[in-house]
Amino acid sequence: MRRLASALLAGVLATACIGTTGSEVVSFEAYAAGPEDARGAGYTFTTGTGYTVTLDRMRLRIGGIYLNRSQPISGGQERACYLSGVYVGQLASELVVDVLDGRLQKFPAAATGTRDLARVGEVWLTGARVDAEDDPSVILDVAGTARRGADEVPFDGRLTIGKNRATKQTDPTRVGADPLCSKRIVSQIPVDLTPQDGGSLVVRVDPRGVFANVEFAELERVSTTPPMYRFADADEGQPNVAIFSGMRSSTGVYTFHFNTSSNRGSSM
Amino acid sequence: MRSPSRRFVFALAVIASTSTIAVDASAQTVTAPEVKTRTDARLPPGARVRDGAEVELLVLVDETGHVADVAVKQSGGADADAAATEAVRAWTFEPARRDGKAVASRIRVPFAFPKAEPAPAVGAATLNAASPEAPQVAQANAPGTGGTATPASPPPAAASPAEEETITVVGQHQAPSRGASDFNLRLGELARVPRGNAADILKLAPGILLTNKGGDGHAEQVFLRGFDAREGQDIEFTVGGVPVNEAGNLHGNGYADLHFILPELVDSVRVIEGPFDPRQGNFAVAGSAAYDLGLAKRGITAKGTIGSFSTRRLLLTWGPKGMSNRTFGGAELFSTEGFGVNRASERGTAMGQYEGRLGSSGSYRVGATAFATHYGSAGVVRADDVEAGRIGFFDTYDRRQGGDSSRYSTYGDIEVRSGDMRYKQGAFLVFRNMRLRENFTGYLLDTQEVVQSPHPQRGDLLDLSVDTITYGARGSATYKTRALGQGQNVEVGYFARGDSTASSQYRRQSRPDVPYLLETDLDSRLGNIGLYGDLDLRVTKWLGLRGGLRGDVFTYDVKNNCAVKSVRQPSRENAPGDASCLSQQDLGRYREPTERISTSSSVLLPRGSVLFGPFDSFTISASAGKGARSIDPVFIDQDKVQPFAGLTAYELGVAYGRRLADVDLMARSVFFQTEVERDLIFSETVGRNVLAQGTTRTGWVGALRATGGIFDESANVTLVRSTFDDTGLLIPYVPDVVVRSDTAIHGELPLTIEGHKVEGALAAGVTYVGRRALPYGQRSGTIFTVDASATLTWRSIEVGIVSTNLFDQQYRLSEFNFVSDFRSAGQPTLVPARHFSAGAPRGVFLTLAWTFGGDA
Repeated sequence: MRRLASALLAGVLATACIGTTGSEVVSFEAYAAGPEDARGAGYTFTTGTGYTVTLDRMRLRIGGIYLNRSQPISGGQERACYLSGVYVGQLASELVVDVLDGRLQKFPAAATGTRDLARVGEVWLTGARVDAEDDPSVILDVAGTARRGADEVPFDGRLTIGKNRATKQTDPTRVGADPLCSKRIVSQIPVDLTPQDGGSLVVRVDPRGVFANVEFAELERVSTTPPMYRFADADEGQPNVAIFSGMRSSTGVYTFHFNTSSNRGSSM
Repeated sequence: MRSPSRRFVFALAVIASTSTIAVDASAQTVTAPEVKTRTDARLPPGARVRDGAEVELLVLVDETGHVADVAVKQSGGADADAAATEAVRAWTFEPARRDGKAVASRIRVPFAFPKAEPAPAVGAATLNAASPEAPQVAQANAPGTGGTATPASPPPAAASPAEEETITVVGQHQAPSRGASDFNLRLGELARVPRGNAADILKLAPGILLTNKGGDGHAEQVFLRGFDAREGQDIEFTVGGVPVNEAGNLHGNGYADLHFILPELVDSVRVIEGPFDPRQGNFAVAGSAAYDLGLAKRGITAKGTIGSFSTRRLLLTWGPKGMSNRTFGGAELFSTEGFGVNRASERGTAMGQYEGRLGSSGSYRVGATAFATHYGSAGVVRADDVEAGRIGFFDTYDRRQGGDSSRYSTYGDIEVRSGDMRYKQGAFLVFRNMRLRENFTGYLLDTQEVVQSPHPQRGDLLDLSVDTITYGARGSATYKTRALGQGQNVEVGYFARGDSTASSQYRRQSRPDVPYLLETDLDSRLGNIGLYGDLDLRVTKWLGLRGGLRGDVFTYDVKNNCAVKSVRQPSRENAPGDASCLSQQDLGRYREPTERISTSSSVLLPRGSVLFGPFDSFTISASAGKGARSIDPVFIDQDKVQPFAGLTAYELGVAYGRRLADVDLMARSVFFQTEVERDLIFSETVGRNVLAQGTTRTGWVGALRATGGIFDESANVTLVRSTFDDTGLLIPYVPDVVVRSDTAIHGELPLTIEGHKVEGALAAGVTYVGRRALPYGQRSGTIFTVDASATLTWRSIEVGIVSTNLFDQQYRLSEFNFVSDFRSAGQPTLVPARHFSAGAPRGVFLTLAWTFGGDA
């Protein structure tokens, strides 16, 4: 009996204080950058509409980056601000990214999360709370020149996502559809990564996707001497809608990569 | 082989009164002697007493109140005679008086020893002077209780006439022990260990951790042997036989708020850690705790407490001399500003009970309780916000948190013996109301629905209310006989209970503070009828078999007043908009927003224990049993058999009990395993428990109680491993190591004031809780607290100083890992983070008590 009791006690003692509830809370650094080949002003590429675009300035305000464990069912649910799945990573920190610089630009705060596989990434484009009724912050600030044949379109633009983007609903049963917060979130970006403690997340922004479908010839001319065209900060007009949609595209613009070790030394 | 060390206590149910008796024709007024102090009768190791032995003593009380002579009038056997004689010699009396002058007197004091206990060490509580088998109130008689006085011949030594009188005492029978995990917690001197409320008494039982994140009026969260019993959902609580768990409470099915109990009126608590007794009913998953009320200190006691955090408490208790300890009254007023932001509370409590006789072989009790409180709650704070200095350790995010709670109950029961049978019957009626406002998640859950007006996150404050009427009865019949040369018992009984509950839960927005969403609105009528049969068989003196079968039927009739919350294709002409409860189907077809669901379920629960011994003061017990918890009405479906949170528990224990050099020792070692089919795990986002998968708990409990003349020590250790069956992962939140020590040292001081000795006492309660597993692989911090008190007593006046958290440890009482967004970062925080509710810092309280009209 005494031996049995001792054995049982030893077993309990050995196992009582060990084990885990699963997963792990992690903290990691986060960076954003332009394409790896970007070296500053003069970044040039060709769009699907046949324009050769040379960018002199492109800054993108990222208000937060999130990782979610669940891939939403396509068409199964109206978009709300947050995904219904479990978030496994968050960076509730703002950074204005110089998209024309391929070097890593560090977010001021660390990201946190859990050591679980992320299938969906989100880039939050906001300078205020994501559900704020208005936000005057400039989200995208671009300038450059688009050329197609003999046409040359010098352009600039400053886009915001505030009341100017609110959807006017006429259906009384859908007054809450497509809320403003959803306009600020680039969602369902395919990712396949697992946050690790001490690692680093890198989000690269590719300007080619942003301008992919822009018809520069339809830009509003705001100056003749020198000539200047400008993206209007509104949801009307092909180039204005196209650049806004491009900025919010879940494919071709944002790529996520996770390094299991920190990127110290390679950032700006 | 030696006989066990047995310890029988014969508590006096009736304490001396000031009854005056006329003894002769000259009409001189003679006052009977009154008991001042008394000592329990204890059988030494090896003692042998036949079942039901009775001893009657003739006791000469001299004019100083001491016992001058003892004679055995009726023998119960040599050992019983010796134990009774030794006990009564230690008694002291207020001497009899004739015309105010002290005189010697002779009285008759019968003792009745309960039937022999095959495994007394197993049955006896480490903390209790009484064997669980022993009646709480037995047939020890005390003088001066107003019984019939019979003239007696003056003793040779008596210079004055002496009186002999007989008092019959009534009492309640208690069910036999179920093994090493059956604890009958009797406070004794350990009542001096600081305890904030009646729930704190549970800490005397091994493996119990109490936390509270909801405020002073919120039920304590109880952890027991690897169970997160939440606010009592996994433990069956009763007070005087009246159920406390609230069936159908929306905050948690089985929610048990013990704040209505005045701790000073708790006589004992029987804790069974596991479902091993057929009398244990619904919610006895981790075990049961049965509070028995009583007041030992007779007379009127006024007690005032002031101290830290502007805490004030006024307590009045009274217990008429000459009446049963179970006849008492008490009332309390309490207020505090609390130890941090938004922790103020006020409450009032009143309890009264009367126990009387039914003829010569029966008793009855009637009682009532009332309790009402209003309190604030700080809720939880995020650790990252505290570490960043964005919020203080004792702060709150939402000052609207708190609640209101009230409970009014009345009850009564009778117990009658007739020949070999004993009958018990009781009934109860409880009115219960609570409102609870909690915000665990900040601004997270207010999802924008398509039909709703565009809105930001409006806030997650839960505003829950529950109104319940509980009514029911319980009864039993016990048949006693002798077979195999041993006493044998058979008991059958029933428990019947109905609950009518109206509950709702709203969410309120932060500004303005109004409800914007009705989440739940239920009217429930719940029924539970259970019956059981229990055998207490003694095969030999060293082998006892106890157990039986319990069956329960649960009925549910639930009207969901908010059954429709969304439709796929709402009417354009009558768009639902922001309404919570809808009265339309697709395309606007009308329907009432309510839905009524009814169903039932039944369960059979076998339970049993085998007790071997005692062998050289060791007794071995093995127990197994099935338990069940009824399902939350929120989860039921029409006509579908509802799953129970069923479980099977096993344990193997050994107990050692004997008296060594005037020290009563009781030690226990218990290995246990509990398998739960479908467990309930707390979800912070919905604010209550949700169904999870099967779980298993395996562990060990060690407990020791040592009681000597000037000290009392209780210590226990619990180690447990709690895992999910499908993944092997740990169950979050439950502590795997709990250590508790309660110590009291007391005695007379070398100080006399006006001829009366000053008595002093020091007491301390030490708690250590290991690092609890938290979700996402995290571990909480440890808890180590010391509470202490020092008391001086002179005559009827008692002065005490109490310090809680003596060393002012800053600790986290509860810790959680979950998602919240309290807008402390630039953007919503959507991944799990550490949250905690703060433990109280050091508190110092001064108490002053005065007792008069009693026996002190």
